[in-house]
Amino acid sequence: MPDRALPGAPAAAPPAAPDVAGGRIDCANVYKWFPGGIVLEDVSLTVEAGQFVCIVGPSGCGKTTLLRMMAGLAEVDHGQVSIGGTPVNGPDRRVAVVFQHFGLFPWKTVQHNVALPLRLAKTPRAEADSRVADAIRTVGLTGHERKYPAQLSGGMKQRAGLARALATAPDVLLMDEPFAAVDAQVREVLQEDLLALRDRLRQTIVFITHSIDEAITLGDRIIVMGTRPGHIVRDVLVPIEQPRTIAQVRRHPAYTDLREEIWQQLRQSAAEQAGEPVEQAGDA
Amino acid sequence: MSEITGRSTGSPSPAGTSPPPAAADQATPASPKLEESRAQIEAAIEQRLRQRSRRNRRIYLLIRIVSLIIVLAAWQYYGSKSTPVIFDPLTRVLGALVDLFRHQGLGAALWYSVWTFAIGYLVGVAAGVALGMCLGAYRRAEAAVGLYVYALYATPMVAIVPLLSIWLGFGVLTQELIIGLFVLFPCVVSVSYGVRNIDGDLLEVARSLRMGRASLWRHVLLPGTAPYIATGAAQGVAMGLVGMFIAEIFTQLSGLGNLLETAAQTYHTDQALAVLLVIMALGVTLRGLITLVQRKVAPWAK
Ligand SMILES: Nc1ncnc2c1ncn2[C@@H]1O[C@H](COP(=O)(O)OP(=O)(O)OP(=O)(O)O)[C@@H](O)[C@H]1O
Ligand SMILES: [Mg+2]
Repeated sequence: MPDRALPGAPAAAPPAAPDVAGGRIDCANVYKWFPGGIVLEDVSLTVEAGQFVCIVGPSGCGKTTLLRMMAGLAEVDHGQVSIGGTPVNGPDRRVAVVFQHFGLFPWKTVQHNVALPLRLAKTPRAEADSRVADAIRTVGLTGHERKYPAQLSGGMKQRAGLARALATAPDVLLMDEPFAAVDAQVREVLQEDLLALRDRLRQTIVFITHSIDEAITLGDRIIVMGTRPGHIVRDVLVPIEQPRTIAQVRRHPAYTDLREEIWQQLRQSAAEQAGEPVEQAGDA
Repeated sequence: MSEITGRSTGSPSPAGTSPPPAAADQATPASPKLEESRAQIEAAIEQRLRQRSRRNRRIYLLIRIVSLIIVLAAWQYYGSKSTPVIFDPLTRVLGALVDLFRHQGLGAALWYSVWTFAIGYLVGVAAGVALGMCLGAYRRAEAAVGLYVYALYATPMVAIVPLLSIWLGFGVLTQELIIGLFVLFPCVVSVSYGVRNIDGDLLEVARSLRMGRASLWRHVLLPGTAPYIATGAAQGVAMGLVGMFIAEIFTQLSGLGNLLETAAQTYHTDQALAVLLVIMALGVTLRGLITLVQRKVAPWAK
């Protein structure tokens, strides 16, 4: 789906164009409470249109909650979350979510899963068909259109999940640990593909992960969160130019330092609320 | 045993055909030659698996036949030793079966029973599925009528049969209603459970896709509960047959149950056993039919 109009594509637009805000995400002084107590406290974060932001943080710090608020799936108790300048008030057509456990409908083939959002939006048949084919090709699933999710490997399932998210050409992609349920090698392949894809599509991407390596590999910017209650403890830009490959990232002089820095940060905030084990030990 | 040895001898080739997932997930395919030999090996393995399952099926069939022969022979032996009123040998029962068909309207009775069953069953399943869906999906519906449904479910259905015949008389309608009620409850329980147990992740996906109520039913709730509908419908067959005989014996109308009752009252044990055979065959056939439908309707649910 390379040449489709992407409303928020910053690279294509001249720098002064105001529509750059199409995929911009603004979280302003966001709070969230659950019956167990406060989960997010005063989170403020702006993600520029087209930016790829990775969020890392200990388990239970509210990453998923924050993402669900951006997706319009969870209520914002205080403060405001806006996408493209308009406050989020329920799920939005400009936003697509990629789920950790794929969220594919077992009774639908790959084709029908990917086509569903278009069908719900009453997209004309011919256009929908070509978009679906594009999205499936983009994620490298051509030839598997007629398979049911149960017939796919984990990596292929997430490709299908990604294709469904891409089919509607959203401005914003929200991904909650999308590669956590696949094994290490597949994960690297998926990362590599996402990097390549990202270079072509230019969506705003918010990507939650438990792996510091994954965050550095993929992100333009990394948000480190702390817990009790969830808040932002660090906000770093990844000084590695895009487009990039995994190999380039690993070889980059800034890689080790950045990795160490984030790791220290996480350990420190874990120590501050002693007892909670930190799982972010570098994997992969 | 044979499965285990078979698997271990076959192990070198599967290792070659199912490469590590990483390779399978590569967007770029392996060289055409590798692809081709892989396809060949896959085909060979598939063939071997098919052969094995065919052989297994043949063995199971053989066991079944042998067991059937033993049971029928035992029946014949003990039947011929016992007094006719108590028990009859297979041959006499088969003779009675033929006689029932020829002279005593077994065919008509069977036809009547099957028809009443079909109508009562379909009505029961339809009502049960609809009610189960509502109870499962809408808490308010459950709050409004759940109590009565569960109370009735806990009551042995047989207990309300006399009441029904007081209210509705001894007609076909009563019979169908009784069958319907027997079928209704397994469907309600299974379907409402199914709706309530739809994967929460999928509901979240539905929400993020901004599905309306109609789309939610069409794309998520109905297909998600299809396996439970099938289960309810299958259990309904068994319950419905019970209902059918209770209704027929109670209302004394025509039908298999009535034939059975008459035979037993007049100490025609051979006839009673013959009718019983027909009833068994009917039950087995209906179960088989349901399984078939089940596989057609929800192929993804194994
Ligand atoms: N529906 C809910 N009801 C009550 N508490 C909740 C609910 N959802 C989340 N929480 C609580 O909010 C906190 C943050 O949860 P969240 O899922 O956002 O964490 P997370 O950072 O995504 O964790 P993980 O890394 O394990 O996915 C947790 O302490 C969790 O127990
Ligand atoms: Mg989470």
